[in-house]
Amino acid sequence: MINLNTSETYRSLFYQAMRIRLVEEKIIELYPSDLIQSPVHLSIGQEAVAVGICANLNLDDWVFINYRGHAFYLAKGGPIKEFFAELMGKKTGQSKGKAGSMHLASPNQGIIGASAVVSSTISHAVGAALISKIKNEKRIFVTNFGDGALEQGVMHESLNFASLYKVPVLFLCEDNNLAVHSPKSERQSFSLKSLVNSYSIPYYEIDEGYDFLKIKQKSKIVIDSIRSSKRPVFLKINTARYKEHVGPGEDFSSGYRNENEINKWKKLDPLISNKKLYSEFLDKIKKEVDDAVKFGIDAPLPDREDLLSDV
Amino acid sequence: MSKTYKAALKEAMQEAMDKKPYSLIIGQGVTDFKGIFDTIVGFKDKYPNRIIESPLSEDSVAGICIGAALNGAYPINTHIRADFGLLIFNQLINLAAKYKYMFGGLFEIPSMYRMVIGRSWGQGAQHSQSLQSLMAHIPGLVVVMPADPSSIIESYRYAIQKHKGPVVMLEHRLLYELSFDDDKAKLSHPLFGSKLEKEGSDITIIATSVMVLEAKRALNHLEKNGISVELINLHSISHPDKEMICKSVEKTGKMLIVDTSWPEYGVCAEMNRIVNEYNPSVLKAPTKSMGMVSTPCPTAKALEDMYYPDVHDICNTVNKMVNGDDAVIDLPKKESMTDFYKHFKGPF
Repeated sequence: MINLNTSETYRSLFYQAMRIRLVEEKIIELYPSDLIQSPVHLSIGQEAVAVGICANLNLDDWVFINYRGHAFYLAKGGPIKEFFAELMGKKTGQSKGKAGSMHLASPNQGIIGASAVVSSTISHAVGAALISKIKNEKRIFVTNFGDGALEQGVMHESLNFASLYKVPVLFLCEDNNLAVHSPKSERQSFSLKSLVNSYSIPYYEIDEGYDFLKIKQKSKIVIDSIRSSKRPVFLKINTARYKEHVGPGEDFSSGYRNENEINKWKKLDPLISNKKLYSEFLDKIKKEVDDAVKFGIDAPLPDREDLLSDV
Repeated sequence: MSKTYKAALKEAMQEAMDKKPYSLIIGQGVTDFKGIFDTIVGFKDKYPNRIIESPLSEDSVAGICIGAALNGAYPINTHIRADFGLLIFNQLINLAAKYKYMFGGLFEIPSMYRMVIGRSWGQGAQHSQSLQSLMAHIPGLVVVMPADPSSIIESYRYAIQKHKGPVVMLEHRLLYELSFDDDKAKLSHPLFGSKLEKEGSDITIIATSVMVLEAKRALNHLEKNGISVELINLHSISHPDKEMICKSVEKTGKMLIVDTSWPEYGVCAEMNRIVNEYNPSVLKAPTKSMGMVSTPCPTAKALEDMYYPDVHDICNTVNKMVNGDDAVIDLPKKESMTDFYKHFKGPF
């Protein structure tokens, strides 16, 4: 069903999700030019998750993201000009071009560094939350990972520790059913809900990974409960990766997945179906994106001093 | 006034807890009655929220340290065997060492990883390793092997109060119970330097950790036989005092490296690189390397005694390097360091 909700909240979430999609589509457009000379793991199809979750977070709540992190970076307020400059390897990028797409971060907006090693920042959120509790703060800490991370030992170690020490962490799994090119059915023998529950951690699931409004509403209950109880909660949101694992293209012809399955998600995707809102917002977002691209293109290159600093 | 190695460690930990805001000690066994070989016994009662017993989850605990550091804490992560430190290599090498650089200076990870080299009493292949060169290889890590109490006090204080990145402290189990007299020699820098233990003219010995002690024993013996040794305690494995090393070898013309680990691709190799890149002509004779035999560590006492070099081997090598292969001096008897230094019996 197409959600025809036109409330201010809906319009705002739609705008943010569409902004992320247009950024990603701009990257696809730019990619053949070699303005961006490093791998990109695009968020297209998964924008609603980031937008819905971040709508419930405060500026000082931290999100620990991963290499598929464009959506969360932008949804949490990461600056867009420095984002493009970073992707283009420029001195005025967020991290002077040393990070690129896979290591986005913006601490002032609570976006803590993205790692390109699957599951390697999950425990960071637990550690930051542990200290926050010692400091008696009211913040919460979100660790955002894909379904591939569920198989890592450190996931289980982190669940155990978070439950043992009762820390305010949202374990947020974006389940797109794929780890690079392998479906979950080839990788997992366990029941996630039972596993999470076995650590005495509440488990929630949202199927409508395209529906930013529903994600916002449902995750608000979860996030509020973490804030008040200062205990960990696990939330899995089912979603779909429209593009290939890494790069700007589609890879349905390679045989590891079926285009029909993605088409089912696309039929439900408001960014595709709600053409009215899409055209209403298009010019404004395009201008912002184009300005940011221009900022990136015009930005200076890093120099030898940048190469040797920050070790 | 004399002080034991472990008393210095306890003092350094006490100072960290009292003077560093949000310092915490986290690791397996930090709240138990042995308290990391008696370096933090009783701390849990004093600092109930900041002495954190951990599950057997080295990987996540190292990550928890990073997250804690990001949120303003100073975590000290303990490993009663350096071998267990291998379980944190993803976090240490992929994350902690790179966090500052990879994000262009947006973050810093001030943190300490205490790893104890377990060599003592039949510890075998997985409880005795000296892994300094693996870690010193990685840009972004500072790796230190303190060889005496004053080095501990100075370097831990600097690491905790002033340094903004991850520091690996490789402590040696054989040294824990030993008492040291006040030290006249000074480190050239607490984290990025070495210590000229003694001046001499015939040969430079560069030693690490417990081998500094063994070299000192050798040195007394060699002096009596008319050989003048200059001894450098390397201290910082990742950031040794290159100038001190090169100037010394330039003076003596000869270099023997005595390390606690395997010579290949390690401290021995690095010392040779430093001197050769400075000026190979300062060397008047081929250099020599001493370390563990290039096998995993055996458990049997008879094999272990052959595996590690001792005072006899050092004296023998130095004599040949200084006086020639055929020169004969009175050599100390072969005596395993565990027999000489060990003040305890049993598995630890």
